[in-house]
Order: sequence, then C-alpha cells, then structure tokens
Amino acid sequence: MNGAAGAVATGNWRLALRFARRDLRSGLAGFRIFLIALTLGVAAIAGVGSLGDAFLRGLAEHGRALLGGDVRIQRFYQPATPAERAFLTQFGQVSQVSTARSMATNASDPGKRTLIELKAVDAAYPMVGLPVLSPATPLAGAIACDARTCGAVAEEALLERLGLKIGEPVRVGQADFIIRAVLVSEPDRVAGGFELGPRLMISDTALQRSGLVKPGSLITWSYRVAFTGKQTLEAFRADLLDKYPESAWQITDRNNALPNVSEFINQATMFLSLVGLTALVVAAIGAGQAVEAFLKGKRPTIAILKALGAESQLIFRIYLTEIGAVSAIGLAAGGVAGALFPFAVSYFFGDRIPVPAHYAIYPVPLIFAALFGLLSVAGFALPPLARACDIPPAGLFRDLVAPSRVQARRWVRVTTAVAFLAIGGLSTLESPNRLFNVAFLGGAVAVLVALRLTAGGLRLALARLNIRRPQTVRLAISSLTRPGSPVTGTMVALGLGLTLLAAVVLTQGSVEAEVQDQLPSHAPSFFFIDIQPDQIAPFTKLMSGFPDTEDFTARPMLRGRVVKLNGIPVAEAHIAADSKWAVNGDRAVTYATTPPKDAKVVQGPNWWPADYHGPTLVSFDRALARGMGLKIGDTITVNIIGRDIEMKIFNLRDINFRSGGMNFVLMASPGVVDQAPHTYLATVRTAPNREEAMFSAVSRAFPNVTIVSVRDSLTQLGEMLEALANGIEIASLVTILAGALVLAGAIANGHRARLYDAVVMKVLGATRGKLARIYAAEYGLLGTLSGLAALFIGTITSWAIAYFVLDVPFIFSGAAVALTIAGGAVGTIVLGLAGGFAALSQKPAAKLRNP
Amino acid sequence: MTANIANRDDLRKAKEAAILLSDVRLTLTSAAGPVNILNGVSLNVAKGEAVALLGPSGSGKSSLLMVAAGLEAATSGSVAVAGQPLSGLSEDALARFRRAHAGIIFQAFHLIPSMTALENVAVPLELTGEAEAFAHAKTALEAVGLKHRLSHYPGQLSGGEQQRVALARAIVHNPEILFADEPTGNLDGPTGVQVMDLLFALKTRGNATLFLVTHEEALAQRCDRILRMKDGLIVADSPRLAVPA
Repeated sequence: MNGAAGAVATGNWRLALRFARRDLRSGLAGFRIFLIALTLGVAAIAGVGSLGDAFLRGLAEHGRALLGGDVRIQRFYQPATPAERAFLTQFGQVSQVSTARSMATNASDPGKRTLIELKAVDAAYPMVGLPVLSPATPLAGAIACDARTCGAVAEEALLERLGLKIGEPVRVGQADFIIRAVLVSEPDRVAGGFELGPRLMISDTALQRSGLVKPGSLITWSYRVAFTGKQTLEAFRADLLDKYPESAWQITDRNNALPNVSEFINQATMFLSLVGLTALVVAAIGAGQAVEAFLKGKRPTIAILKALGAESQLIFRIYLTEIGAVSAIGLAAGGVAGALFPFAVSYFFGDRIPVPAHYAIYPVPLIFAALFGLLSVAGFALPPLARACDIPPAGLFRDLVAPSRVQARRWVRVTTAVAFLAIGGLSTLESPNRLFNVAFLGGAVAVLVALRLTAGGLRLALARLNIRRPQTVRLAISSLTRPGSPVTGTMVALGLGLTLLAAVVLTQGSVEAEVQDQLPSHAPSFFFIDIQPDQIAPFTKLMSGFPDTEDFTARPMLRGRVVKLNGIPVAEAHIAADSKWAVNGDRAVTYATTPPKDAKVVQGPNWWPADYHGPTLVSFDRALARGMGLKIGDTITVNIIGRDIEMKIFNLRDINFRSGGMNFVLMASPGVVDQAPHTYLATVRTAPNREEAMFSAVSRAFPNVTIVSVRDSLTQLGEMLEALANGIEIASLVTILAGALVLAGAIANGHRARLYDAVVMKVLGATRGKLARIYAAEYGLLGTLSGLAALFIGTITSWAIAYFVLDVPFIFSGAAVALTIAGGAVGTIVLGLAGGFAALSQKPAAKLRNP
Repeated sequence: MTANIANRDDLRKAKEAAILLSDVRLTLTSAAGPVNILNGVSLNVAKGEAVALLGPSGSGKSSLLMVAAGLEAATSGSVAVAGQPLSGLSEDALARFRRAHAGIIFQAFHLIPSMTALENVAVPLELTGEAEAFAHAKTALEAVGLKHRLSHYPGQLSGGEQQRVALARAIVHNPEILFADEPTGNLDGPTGVQVMDLLFALKTRGNATLFLVTHEEALAQRCDRILRMKDGLIVADSPRLAVPA
C-alpha cells in the first residue's frame, strides 16, 4: 500500500457520506439551535405566504358570492332608470340593493337610538349564496311587507344596542319595521371593515316607506347582474360604457370583487413576509453561529482526519453533508409548520377572520420559504464551514487563544454574496411593492451595519474601562471583551429583533397619540349627514340653542367623481401614487359663494365674487393639484349624478386632512353645481358631557338625519390600528425569538470555555451564587446595551416612518423604552443563566479528572 | 518562507534521507506577540533509523515533529521528508504526503470518538481508496492485541487500549516514517512499556523510520540515535551509547 496512497481523490462524495454518517452517530445535539433557528425562520415565511394565498384564493373563489353576481354597478343618489334596467336585464338576472348609513330607534323606547348600516334588497336578492338567519327562516318572508308594516332582520349588535327582541319594532326614518330574525351572515358582505354601525336589512318597499329616499340622499344604488348566457365581463363593460358613457357607474366584477381587501391582503402579506424574512435572516445568523459552535466542537476530529491525510475538500463535504441533512430536516419542519399555519389560524381565530379563506396547502410560498432558507444557510453557514476546513491541523490541535485567521476562499465569498443578493432579489421580485421592499431591505441592512458598528464600539469602550471593583462587574466586563465573546453576534441579532419591536411600538404610539390628541383640540363631536335643504334652517336653530357648542358648520354636499383632468380621462392621465385616491371612487363636493372661514388659500385669488354665476370655478387642494400635475386655470371634470361638469381651477388651498373636520377637496362656485339635488353636511363640537343630549335631540327632531359620533369613529379606528399593530408586534416577536436563538447559539459557542472557567473559579473558591451573579451581570449588561442600541436605532427608524411615510408627529413613548430595554435585559439574563446552568452545576473534580 | 532545495547535491541528499531539515525556523504569532519556537534546526535522519528527541518542556520537540510530519509549515528553512520537499506545499498536498508516507501517534491518542476501533484504524486506508481497508484494519488491530475490541468506541477503551488503536492506525498503511509524540505520556509504566514494545516491533517489521519525541531517557535509549533540544535548537546529537547519563 505504501506509495500507492494518494492516487485516489479523498474528496469523493461516497467517502464523505460514510464519514458523515459515522459522525452523526453522536446525534443531532450540536445542531439543535441550528435546527430550531432554521425551522422558525422558514416557518415564518412559509406561514405568512400560505395564509396570504389562502385569503386571496378564498376571495377569488367567493368573488361571485361577495359581489352578489357576475358584475356589479353602483352609484350614489340615483337608482337605475327603466332604460338602464332594461339594458342590464339583457345580460341576465338583475338584483337591486341599496345601502345607506342611517339612524335606527327602538320604536317602543325612542330614547334608544343608534347609527346603522342600512341595506334594502329586492326579491331577487341574493342571486348567489344565502344569508343565515336565526331562527332559520327564508329571507323573503322575514322582510316581506303587508299593507301596514314591513319585516326586517338585524345583526345581534343592533338588538343589543336598542334593547330589542325579535318581534319588536325598530324605527327607521318615518317607518316602523318588525324585527323577524337575527341576521347572522350575508353572502355578499365582508364583516369587520370600517363600518360605523350594525346591519339592518329591509326590503326595497320598506326603504320607500321609510321616507329616506329623497333627492340628494346619500344612498348607494347597486345592481348585481348574474349572467344567464355566454356574456363576458369585457363585453358587458364595453357595452355599458358605450351606451352610458357619462352615467357615473362604478363597475366591479367577480374576478376582483373586493379590490381594496385584495390590495390590503397583498400589502399585509408583503409586510409580514418582510418581517418574516428579517426573522429568517436573524435565525440564519443564529444558524451560522450554531454551525461555528458545532465545528468548534469538531476541531479535534477535523484535525485528526487532516493529520491522517484527509484533504480540505473531503472535510468540507463531510460537514456539508451533515449540515445539508440537518438543513433538509429544518426546511421540511419549517415548511410543514408554515403549511399548517393557515389551518391553525383557522382553528383558533376562524370565527374572527372577516375574509373568506380557502385553507389548503400552497406549494408556491413553501417553495419560496425553502429557497430563502437554503440561501440563508448558504450565506451564513458556508463561511464558518469553509474556514474550519481551511485551518491547518497544527492550528486545530494547538487551540490558540488568538485563533488562526483564515480568509474565506474566493468562491466562498462569491457564493455568500450571491446568496444574499438572491435573497434580496427573490423577495423583491415576488413583492407587490418593489420599491417598499427594497427600502425595507435597505433599512434592515443599514440597521444590521449600525448594530455591528455599535457592538464593535461598545466592545472597545468596555475593554478600555478600568473597573476593578466590584469584582462581579469586572469579571462580567472581562467576559464580554475576551476573544470569542458573544457581544457582536448577540447585539446584532437580538438588537435587530428589539429594533423592530421598538420601531413598531413607537410608531404605534405616535399614530395613537395623533388619533387621540386630535379629538379634544380640533375634531368636531358629530357629523350630521343628509340634512335636507328645507331642514337646514331649523337644524341651525336647534344647534344655536344648545349650550357649550362651538364651530357649528353646515355645507351643501354632493357626491361626484373626477373623470377628466384637462380633458384627459383620469385612466390616461399621469397621476402620482399618493394622489390616486382622489380619483378612485366618489368624492364629496360642495359649493360656496364666500370663502369658508377655515379655508387656507395658498395660491391664486382669494375667492370668486359672491354673486358669481359664470362657468364653474373650483377651489382645489394644492397637494393633489401637484400630484395630478394641475395648476390654476386647468380644468377638472367631475361627474355629478350622471352629468359631467367641467370646473376651472380658481385657486389652491392647503387642507389639513388630520383636522377631523369637513375637508372638501373640491369647493365649486355656485351656478351649476347647486342645481343638482343635494343635502347638507354639518359638524359641531360640544362638551363631551353634552354629546348624548345633542344626539338625542337631533335624532328626535330629525329622524332622517344620520348622526356619526367622531369619538366612536376614532375609537373604532383606534381599535383597528391596534389590531393591526398587534399583528405586527406578533411578527416582530418572532424576530425576537430568532434573536434569542442567536443568543442561545452564542452561549453554546462559548459553552466549553465557560465550563472550564467555572471549574477553575470553583477550584479557587467561587460559589455557585457568585458565578450566577457574574453571569447575570454579564448578560444583563449585554442585554441592556443591546436594548439601548436597539432603542436608539428603533427611534430613528420610527421617526423616519412617522415623518416620511405616515406624516404624523413623532411621539417618544416611555413604554417603548421600558419594553425594549427591559425585554432585552431580562430575556438575555434568563437565556444566559439557562445556558450557564450546566457550568454552574459542574462538579470540578469530575471535569478535572476527565478534561 | 522556507528555502527551496537548491542544487543537485541537496536533492540527492533529500532523496537518500528519511528526514532532511536545513536551518528550520518556526515563529508563531499570538495575542502577546510573535513567539520563536524553532531557531534554525538542521537534521538528517537516515531511512530505517530510530531517532529519539529529548528535551525540557517548551524546548520545541513537538513543534519539530509537527514540522517534520507536515502538520506545521516552517517559517523558514527547508524540509524534505521521504525524499519529498515539503516547503511551499499546499495544505492539501501536505495531507496527501502524510497519508502516503507518514504514520503519526499522539500523546493524547486523538482517536475519532464517533468511530469504532476498527473504523478508526481503517480511516487512513479509506482515504487512499483501499478496497480492503477494513480487512487490513482488522489485521492491524490483531497485531496490537485488540482483536476483541474491534467494535468498541474510544470511550469504551482504556488508555492503553486507545494508544494501541492509535498505533494500529499509524502502521496500517505501512508508512515509511512513524512519528510518535510522547506516545506513553498518558500511560502508566507497564502499559507504556507494552505499547513501546509494540511500536518498536512494528517499526522493525515494516522497516520504517521512527521519529520519537519523549521525556524518558530509558525509552530514548531504545533508539539508534538521540537528539537533545533546548530553546528551539538541537544541542546534542549522538548514538544512544554515547549519550551521557
């Protein structure tokens, strides 16, 4: 055999596999943290992606039911004309549904009133799906009318608010309806949105009897068409626009029944995926550390194999095989957990989820998650693996205090860079908002770099501290500054999670403060909607008679849709993304002969003459004008009740949309606009203790007027924001969990040295209590410093979000400080002591006998 | 940087010698600064010779063995072993050299804990792609008296047994040179004697060169030649009988 050796390349995979199998006989203990970290990271991405797909598929599958037909057209004010009905009937069965916000009163106890979401349906409703009533009874019977009265079905919440029972009458407008059943669910409704009141469903006949249908009343008239032939959605759209080009119909079809909800799900999925990706990256840092710790434990074996003649390639392949095998387990476990996540959400929160979902296994997010996991392993585990393989055997045996510095080979550096770029590229490619995605990733990288620099700086600063007493602190500091200390890894990984948490908590605090702070200082107490022109004088009189009221304002209000800018249809005009909301759907329009006292004209002449009756002029919002590329003298065409009205921009105003008051984007000159049927919108501010009395007085005197309490609305908005923030907080907790794993990895990394140190300290007379105090000081200091760094960077991040994205004043909150620092310190101490427990309980004699 | 073997005469000498070192220096860097371990060692060990290296702790004995075995690259000077210049060889080329020419025994045994005795001994042959690796490994273990311990893991063996496994592993591929770094350092007296008897017997049977680092004068006396080291230099080089007591 002598001399024949060496002819065979030792890098062959079969040999590597054989050695890896032998090596794994000692079990997966060394890979525990690696496995947990990878599983967690992959599960986070796979879970979020799967849940998003479940919702989107659910929406797509229920599109027809949610829409109530194949296509829906709707507009304000005007029901379809007989000609329009005839047109719709050509395509199939037609159902009319009208909705409005209104007030409902307990007919037997008129003091009990509440705002409701009223829905009036015809006999054809629902064409798709069925409502669920309790007791179970056909809807048509429950809402049927006889000569004297009509039936109604209401949500349980309405019955509770008004103290009503089935069989008792509810008053809407000027009519009383008998509640015949509780409305449990509607096929065409996504619950939980921003709704101001519970649902009351009546027949279209009942709506007419209520007296609410008046010229200019804010009623949405919606028509659903269930195709009976082979008509296509495209043909329907084309025919409708061809026949009624100026009819102001908004068209929605079954393929995108809830565009806003789909958009929200897409955005939420993207954001949570990015948080998941952050968790994965943090977890991957932990996985990389775990690989390093594992390979550190394998140094003797690597050294022996090398001494016996194994080349680096064989060593690389042995441990790559092991890491690959464990990664496969982690990817599979993470994939399974992610795939099951939607089912778990359905099981635990199913009844609270407002959107229809199709719970199934979705391969695409699982493949993406696995790919992200694989790339992360390549990015973080490859360098320590390559380094371990390249260390010369003498260095491995010698175990220097200053470890052999081996520069990773070029291909490893290139592969690592490619892996990181691929992670960023893949995540951006699949994102619905690539710019945001890139900004988020850029921010995350900046935070990582900042944390790394901070960690390096702190380590240097601690090393220069010359603290001799108390001994606990001195030993803790020396432990943090010794070679191989966990400072950098822990601060980077735990810090990233804590930064995310701090940023979320601070941003949430700023938004909440903005919502709450507006209420007492600027916002009105009530909005009064649908005041008829003949009611405005008595209404004003009622208000002026109320004590402690201020800022009563009443304005005519019409709903109109911007259809052209300078004669160019909005679909073809170039409009900035942050201004598109103004052309999507209807906007409130008012007219005024004199400038309102809160109008802040910033460009152009102050106002048109009070007696102006020429071509329609408009006072427009300056920010929107900029977004739409409009200037004074340009034209905006607004469709009001089926008629296109061209308005010339007279001046531009700055509107504070956060004032909570009336904010008309379009204020037109009278002459044309005031000829259209319209109602008045009024706002008033009164002392909180007078609100109830005002509510009662208005609802008693003007039963047709809808009263919206700003306080209630803001409370509801606050609750929605809180729910959203809770979701993000949970997601950021996953990142913190990943950070904790990194800490656990760092502790495992230094376990052997710590064990040895503990034994020596015990031989020298240190008690377990003393050692525990040293560990607590060390990890407490590390956690507190991580928390402080995270708080600092999180504050800057949150300020940037508040200032640049949300446009709200940044508020620094003490809760965020406490949560971030205490969370960092306590979590680190607990994990550190848990990790050091083995060292504390190590009997010196055993270790000294058998090193 | 180590110097290359420059002329034909040097090349001839390198081919004739088992180990040829010329002005070998080794400096290691640590956090405290550079440490000079070997300070210009020159040495020629003939093929089949048994050489013992004696010296106090820190004199550089083990480092010299590391350099000669290709486990450590010299900072300067030239190193040729088994007729092959080691200077400038890559880490992998050194690994190929070791598996072809060297058998190494350590004081701490350095068996792979997750492998059985048989597997540990088979490793050098497996690395060469030898099809009968396990059959040869079994024979080698029989030769060191461990026929009954083939499937035992290192943790299940006594110190003496572990060192015998290490010995079997070092000779299983019939290396030209056996490097032994204080092979009895972790063993009691009688066990140490047994292991050394085996080592010399196997060395003689395979006609291998032996490079033995030890603290024990008695053990050194069993070698053909004894070298003494101090402060990174060979300070005495003499046949065993001429060594002063």
